[in-house]
Amino acid sequence: MTMEQQQREEEKKPQTSENDKDEKVVQFLDSLNDYLTLMDSLSSALRQGWLELASARHSMGSWRINSATLDHKFHSASTTLQLSSPDDSNSNTNQPHFTLRKWESCDDEDFQSKEVKLDEDEVQKNSDDVQVQKERSKSLLVFGALVSPKLRDAQLSFETALETLVDIANRRSVMLSAYDHVREEILGTKQ
Amino acid sequence: MRAPIATNNSALIAMIADEDTVTGFLMAGVGNVDLRRKTNYLIVDSKTTVKAIEDAFKEFTTREDIAIVLISQYVANMIRFLVDRYNKPVPAILEIPSKDHPYDPAQDSVLSRVKHLFSTESVASGRR
Repeated sequence: MTMEQQQREEEKKPQTSENDKDEKVVQFLDSLNDYLTLMDSLSSALRQGWLELASARHSMGSWRINSATLDHKFHSASTTLQLSSPDDSNSNTNQPHFTLRKWESCDDEDFQSKEVKLDEDEVQKNSDDVQVQKERSKSLLVFGALVSPKLRDAQLSFETALETLVDIANRRSVMLSAYDHVREEILGTKQ
Repeated sequence: MRAPIATNNSALIAMIADEDTVTGFLMAGVGNVDLRRKTNYLIVDSKTTVKAIEDAFKEFTTREDIAIVLISQYVANMIRFLVDRYNKPVPAILEIPSKDHPYDPAQDSVLSRVKHLFSTESVASGRR
């Protein structure tokens, strides 16, 4: 390598480093923007849900939809989260990843194993839909056998809100991780 | 190197919020009641004390089966010191709006943590 080439390589290094810093800042700002946008979507979904819940309460009566009617007996959540961490074990950042698992009953594994034997995708899909509808209806049973359509609408709105919340949780992880990278760059620059 | 995050295939979502918000999310299937009748939610109303909210927050943030804690922002403001001091990745604390209190980004604990990047100590000023 000639002297000129070596000089050019040396000049490129600070520029590459500046580009890396810029990339990290952009990643942070992007994740911040996504977080705020998702919070806005969440507000809309919740407003929708509260309105539908109020309509259901109006038609069914407030004595049927209140905290006293909630199920206080032992039961497991049908909607849970799968929590995982990045594959990169060399990473210094703690960045959890959340995945929503909706309407999964305790009998889910047995149910699925029976359907896999039939080996028909259509049957599997229909079975899943039936299972989800069954779990949805079970969740509303505490309010009585017959419920207002508005209550079912409210249930769907809150499900949407839940999906948005999981996206927000993931965006939050990315944002905090990007923030840590940017902060390290700032401290590195000052030294 | 920070402690790795423990994976969990069926973690819970906890809630500290008003009745309508909790009822709505319970309809979405997140409610859990264990054998000791302990729930993964606290309904906050005018009679709920700050101590009860603090205790619920401390309990939910130390349980290993909870991955996300939803807390209405106006409730988080009642225990702001505790919420701002919390800095673990899991469970994630998400401040949410309520019917009478819309979401205010200026009060969000997570955004407060990162906002100083936009002050005079920002990246841009450090590079001048």
